[in-house]
Amino acid sequence: MKLPIYGQSTDGREHWRSLSEREQRRAHPSEFPAGAAEAPEGFSRRGFLQVLGASVALAGLEACRPPRDTIHPYVRSPEREVVPGAALHYATAAEWGAEAVGLLVTTYEGRPTKVEGNPDHPASLGASGTFEQALLLDLYDPRRLQGFVRGGQPLAFRSTLRALSDLAASHRGDGGARLRFLVRESGSPLLADLRRRIQARYPRATFHVHESLSSDEVREGTRIAFGRPMEPRLRLEGARVILALDHDFLGLGAERLRLAREYAARRTPGPGAEMNRLYAAEAHLSTTGAVADHRIRMRSSEVLSFARAVAHRLAEKHGLAALAGCGQKPAVRIREAEAVADDLARVGAEALVTAGPRQPAAVHAVAAAVNAALGSAGRTVEYRPAPPGPTGPASLRALADAVGAGQVDTLVVTARNPVYAAPADVGLGELLARVPNSLYLALREDETSQRCSFVLAASHPFESWGDARAADGQVTICQPLLSPLFESISEVELLASFLDEGDRGGHRVLQDLWRSRSAAPDFDVRWERWLARGLVPDTAVAPEVPAVRAGEVAAAARSAPAPREGLEASFVADPKLLDGRFAENAWMQELPDPITKMTWDNAALLSPATAKRLGLESGQRVELRLRGRKVEAPLWIAPGHADDTVTLPLGYGRTVAGPTGTHVGFDAGRLRAAEAPWIDGGLALAPVGRRKHAFACTQEHFSMEGRDLALTFDRGDLAGEKHRLDELRGPLPSLLGQVDYQGQMKWGMAIDLTRCIGCSACTIACQAENNIPVVGKEQVARSREMHWIRVDRYFSGDPENPEVVAQPLACVQCERAPCEYVCPVNATVHSDEGLNEMIYNRCVGTRYCSNNCPYKVRRFNFFEYHRPKSATEKMLMNPDVTVRSRGVMEKCTYCVQRIERHRIAARIAGQEIRDGQIQTACQQACPSQAIRFGNLNDPGAQVTAWHGDERRYDLLHELGTRPRTAYLVRVRNPNPELAHG
Amino acid sequence: MAETATQVERLDPLDPIPVLAGRPGDREVNDQLFLPVWQQTRRGWLALFAITSSLAGLLVLAISYTVATGIGVWGNNIPVGWAFDIINFVWWIGIGHAGTLISAILLLFQQRWRTSINRFAEAMTLFAVMQALIFPALHTGRPWFDFWLFPYPSTLGLWPNFKSPLMWDVFAVNTYFLVSLMFWYVGLLPDLAALRDTSKKRGARIAYGIFALGWRGSARHWRHYRIAYLLLAGISTPLVLSVHSVVSFDFAVSLLPGWHTTIFPPYFVAGAIFSGFAMVLTLVIPARKVFGFEGVITAKHLENMAKVMLATGLMVSYGYAVEHFNAWYSGDHFESFLFFHTRQAGPYAPVYWLMIFCNVVVPNVFWWKKARQSIWALWIASILVNVGMWTERFVIIVISLHRDFLPSSWAMYYPTLVDWSIYVGTLGMFGTLFLLFLRFVPSVSASEVKELRRELDHEAHARAAH
Amino acid sequence: MASYVLGEFQEEAALCAAARRLRELGFAGLDAHSPVPIHGVDEALGLKRSPVPLIGLVGMLLGGGGAYLMQWWMNAVDYSLNVGGRPPQSAPAFIPVTFESAVLVASVFIVGGLFALAGFPRLHHPVFEVEAFRTACVDGFWLSAEVEAPRAEAAAEEMRRLGARNVSRVDGEEA
Repeated sequence: MKLPIYGQSTDGREHWRSLSEREQRRAHPSEFPAGAAEAPEGFSRRGFLQVLGASVALAGLEACRPPRDTIHPYVRSPEREVVPGAALHYATAAEWGAEAVGLLVTTYEGRPTKVEGNPDHPASLGASGTFEQALLLDLYDPRRLQGFVRGGQPLAFRSTLRALSDLAASHRGDGGARLRFLVRESGSPLLADLRRRIQARYPRATFHVHESLSSDEVREGTRIAFGRPMEPRLRLEGARVILALDHDFLGLGAERLRLAREYAARRTPGPGAEMNRLYAAEAHLSTTGAVADHRIRMRSSEVLSFARAVAHRLAEKHGLAALAGCGQKPAVRIREAEAVADDLARVGAEALVTAGPRQPAAVHAVAAAVNAALGSAGRTVEYRPAPPGPTGPASLRALADAVGAGQVDTLVVTARNPVYAAPADVGLGELLARVPNSLYLALREDETSQRCSFVLAASHPFESWGDARAADGQVTICQPLLSPLFESISEVELLASFLDEGDRGGHRVLQDLWRSRSAAPDFDVRWERWLARGLVPDTAVAPEVPAVRAGEVAAAARSAPAPREGLEASFVADPKLLDGRFAENAWMQELPDPITKMTWDNAALLSPATAKRLGLESGQRVELRLRGRKVEAPLWIAPGHADDTVTLPLGYGRTVAGPTGTHVGFDAGRLRAAEAPWIDGGLALAPVGRRKHAFACTQEHFSMEGRDLALTFDRGDLAGEKHRLDELRGPLPSLLGQVDYQGQMKWGMAIDLTRCIGCSACTIACQAENNIPVVGKEQVARSREMHWIRVDRYFSGDPENPEVVAQPLACVQCERAPCEYVCPVNATVHSDEGLNEMIYNRCVGTRYCSNNCPYKVRRFNFFEYHRPKSATEKMLMNPDVTVRSRGVMEKCTYCVQRIERHRIAARIAGQEIRDGQIQTACQQACPSQAIRFGNLNDPGAQVTAWHGDERRYDLLHELGTRPRTAYLVRVRNPNPELAHG
Repeated sequence: MAETATQVERLDPLDPIPVLAGRPGDREVNDQLFLPVWQQTRRGWLALFAITSSLAGLLVLAISYTVATGIGVWGNNIPVGWAFDIINFVWWIGIGHAGTLISAILLLFQQRWRTSINRFAEAMTLFAVMQALIFPALHTGRPWFDFWLFPYPSTLGLWPNFKSPLMWDVFAVNTYFLVSLMFWYVGLLPDLAALRDTSKKRGARIAYGIFALGWRGSARHWRHYRIAYLLLAGISTPLVLSVHSVVSFDFAVSLLPGWHTTIFPPYFVAGAIFSGFAMVLTLVIPARKVFGFEGVITAKHLENMAKVMLATGLMVSYGYAVEHFNAWYSGDHFESFLFFHTRQAGPYAPVYWLMIFCNVVVPNVFWWKKARQSIWALWIASILVNVGMWTERFVIIVISLHRDFLPSSWAMYYPTLVDWSIYVGTLGMFGTLFLLFLRFVPSVSASEVKELRRELDHEAHARAAH
Repeated sequence: MASYVLGEFQEEAALCAAARRLRELGFAGLDAHSPVPIHGVDEALGLKRSPVPLIGLVGMLLGGGGAYLMQWWMNAVDYSLNVGGRPPQSAPAFIPVTFESAVLVASVFIVGGLFALAGFPRLHHPVFEVEAFRTACVDGFWLSAEVEAPRAEAAAEEMRRLGARNVSRVDGEEA
């Protein structure tokens, strides 16, 4: 079925803007658009938007169609087919490593426009993070690969399949001895089944699994502790004291959304509810460390000794004899270790010790032992069997050796850009050249695709059938939301073609598998239900409580190699680009780093003290030397960073990543060694040149200057601070009369700073919902970023180890809006429900409103940031929201388009709008439920409750703007023993 | 008033400098004052004109580029939503105040030293206001919709918001321009007629004849003319005061620290007159030299203007003092942070101190008669004051905006090449217009000088009679 | 069928005297032309006070009143909006526009009144036919009498008697 889409041809005819463009397209169909290689600095950032526009030529203007095979919306609309203008939500899932997050994707006329979390899915619970949201931008990227190229020759789909099965057949002789696969890590039952069948057909073929953010160390650690590799899954709702050993569980991983929800659920102070307490031991300030009640700074290599110190104290003082072996008397941080241990012991089985995937196996083994000893295993952490085999550098090393030995004729790569992600010393890039047939399934041109002889355009996950597993084993059937925009093949189809089933299509391959598994007569009915709900029932895997092998743990703890001497290099997944998979995603590039607020860049982070010692300052460019390899990078002095260690975020410095990602930041991966991929010693810094590096940060000033902005109190002091809070709320004397909002909706919002973890999910959700443009590094540097909701980050106290608070801030919808009365043309006025509305088509752009806005939440289109758009990019636009032109002011309006949609629906249904029915985009995405929105005239509404909360206060209350968004004070729950000093 | 003025002039031995050197006859007055119009175009004039008109060309280019690309080509951002655009607007409008003030207020007070400089000043006013008008029109994001600021029945059925100071600006500035234009033109009528009647060439005769509208110096003309001119003067006086007050409301009505200040209206008006007189001096001093008008624009005029600058300069200083006092006395954190930290120690501190030097320190040299009577001292000081008044607007606008309530939104502002081009361009356009004025219109009102001479003769007789 | 008789005098006093005399003799349509306004010439010619101030006053009232009503109607009546919680009709905020409009309209009326009363623009006038008259705006003091052709000679005669130089006559039809 084809529906007319705005800006789309429904007839597949060739469209072109100018003759020259048409000629160019004719001339070299598969070339990059002119200028695609230009660096992303300066004005050319806008240039790059134009490049994307030009590449509409390459976008093969196929109308976007719903997939051929029937898919099933989450909430069944009365008539099954698509209704123009009406949104449908489809359940699917995104995979991070082996674990999945369930999603609901909003589509209009069969084009996805927004990603939300699936409320029924255990890993999402309705929330969605930055990464899930950003997937959508990749889907529509006009720079995606199209079609199939073998040895420079384009192939049609059919001939590609034939080529693949010929290739497969050629390996039948020796049972696939010279056939190898390098696949991404996945929990998908279907992929596992395909792999099993391929192995059956080619017994001697080898599968290598690669995930650059691998959990090999976790599995190795659990293997040491339990005898077999296990996957720990945290359960925070029962945890009262949490010790995170270099584990950013709120910032990274497929489970972060659920964990944020569970963590925040226990942060509400007050009678009855006991707040949990979080200790974070880490080197660089992570999202988790920023919300921790106590952040214990240490080099990543010191985490093991700290864990052992805690174990020691538990064994010595609290009689947990099992830990005697792995414990060790500490030399430093004795006070902290003892306080933490005592606190853990105090709550016993309600404690939790967890370690991050960057930490060596020994740390995980100790953590497992401590949890077992405390009795928390099975309560605050549960274990499930993990798939065998390495997924990290080890597996790449094995492959490299095989290739090096000339044992590989055909290599099928479905892993994500291994050439870039592999540690430098593996040298995969050079080796690929030696493989006669190197197949690469890729979404975009990248470092790996350039070295492979047979490149296949991959279908986006939202375009292909598949399945995935949540951490607890529950399966989601991933349904395509539209048929591929560009000629491409899915991972499933590719692998299936090695079984000569490539032409059957992912849908049937998938259905066959599940039909055989369920073997129920009414399979088709169930199938529909699975698709609609986004979960396959009774697929969860039961957790186990395996016995700890204390001896092995002790041995591992003792025999753990001492860290190399000298300055420490600590490699981390970038909070925005992860391992670089989002380098071409403009949303993620422009998203401010949750801590440094840096955009379009990365930097080598180090502590103020260390910088002082080395005589370096922020912005200084240095040459980093490690194991004979060197990289040039700018420095950033990060408050709260551990001394004598340098944090190097991965994922930047891509060399083949299109205009968006190429040469943005520096590639720390060039320094990594396979045997020490995360933590290494002996780093050397040498200053390069005088010129300071120009960062583009959305926030340049991190001190509150003693102003009552983002308030933080210790739990104990809360009662005593009431009078101070009373000065920041309640009515003020005024000459102006009151506007009466009785008898109608009175929209309001409340944000709980105690719950907020500063993850920025709200920012990206808002960007997707409200068609907010990306402006590029040069514009951000000029402080012209467009995000409607920003997350302010303030540091206070000792710069070496500061207190950190995050404060999401969008338009607070003042009842006495200073922006309104200064607008000469009435382009921003109040609705009768108290919304501070922007009338874009009336705005002439005097910017007076922004000058007079004390919160500076208004954003201005200094240029035509939206033009030109490729045909596919246009499909991303939310049809309910105006695309703002140049010279127009814009800002948050509490997602007024969502309010109106629900109002209409309610009118049609003849009902009242129920509380909680309308969710703003930021609120819906927020994993920790820190945002509430609703009708303040409804005494029962959740938001009204928060407005009446004892912690409530108004931002800049004394100005008398009467904001509709209230804030709830952030409450810390420090350990009295560590409280001071 | 006139009487006392005369007595002062007669009795004051300390002030012997005349407002009119010698007693030229009517014909001489015309010959002398019309000389720049009738003589051949001077080489120096051409050179200057080449420079200013090319700068004006730069202005046209910069404006076209801005309109075509978007005001993103300026340095403005969030939080600094206004910068060079409004700085230059206020600066030019301020300069545009001396003209009407000299003509109107001094006329009402019958200050006869007004006569020789009022047309200079009025012309300067017109051209300055023209430059000022460029900025509000250009600074909007969508200049092609500027007409929405006028109350006309639109298809949107929507009206402008008269609570916005920007609307007040629209009315105030346009009114000021139109009234100044009428005032200037009406004042020009007799001289235009005289030009028509002294013209040798037919072309000039026709051209000036058209502009003279058929003035015949008839008693009937004079009767309506004099009262009309007086009324315009009377009406312009409060207008001058109101215009800069309204401009100051743009800031005073907001709630931003550094803007939200009750002293602004008087302090802006004082500053305007201050900078206005400075600009008059900057222009008059070279002009009288070049055209040999020392007899008409005497040292007395210059000295009086210096006195006015001293007085208004002190008012401005007082304004600064009150601002800072209020910031301290209010005990408001944001205010005191701005006035006692950001301004003196912030990233833009040098601009602040330059302002203090030019506007607070420099005018005080005019306490000394020597300085008031030294051409060079006057000229340099007048230029410094112009600089100072520009930096004052920078301090008020940019420094207040770049660090307001929430430190998270603080950001720096850096002007771009386009910003500078437009600013320099307006200087060029102003110079161009002024040179044309000097070339084609008598820059001192002949008819009024004739009147003045008669008054002086009259007094001379009176004195002789004693 | 009117003609103009023009005569130039040495200085203001003589001109005024001449004007008075001619009026006594019953010549109407007298007018004086001078580079500067002449004291007492109005009385001499019997001219009344100028109505320009009155016109200006009317303009001021119209401008001010109109402006206030406009603002009130536009913001409070025709399209009333909740703008920042401020009252739609707020007198203090309406004062500036009221004042400026009053000044503008008043000035327009004053200048308009001047032009109307002085008959501007009138690019040609019979008196311009006399080349010598070109001194009128420079340093000459001229008396002109608009008379019926038959009495023109008498008027010219009288002027010469009163000491006028280059007395000349312009006949209407030429005009």
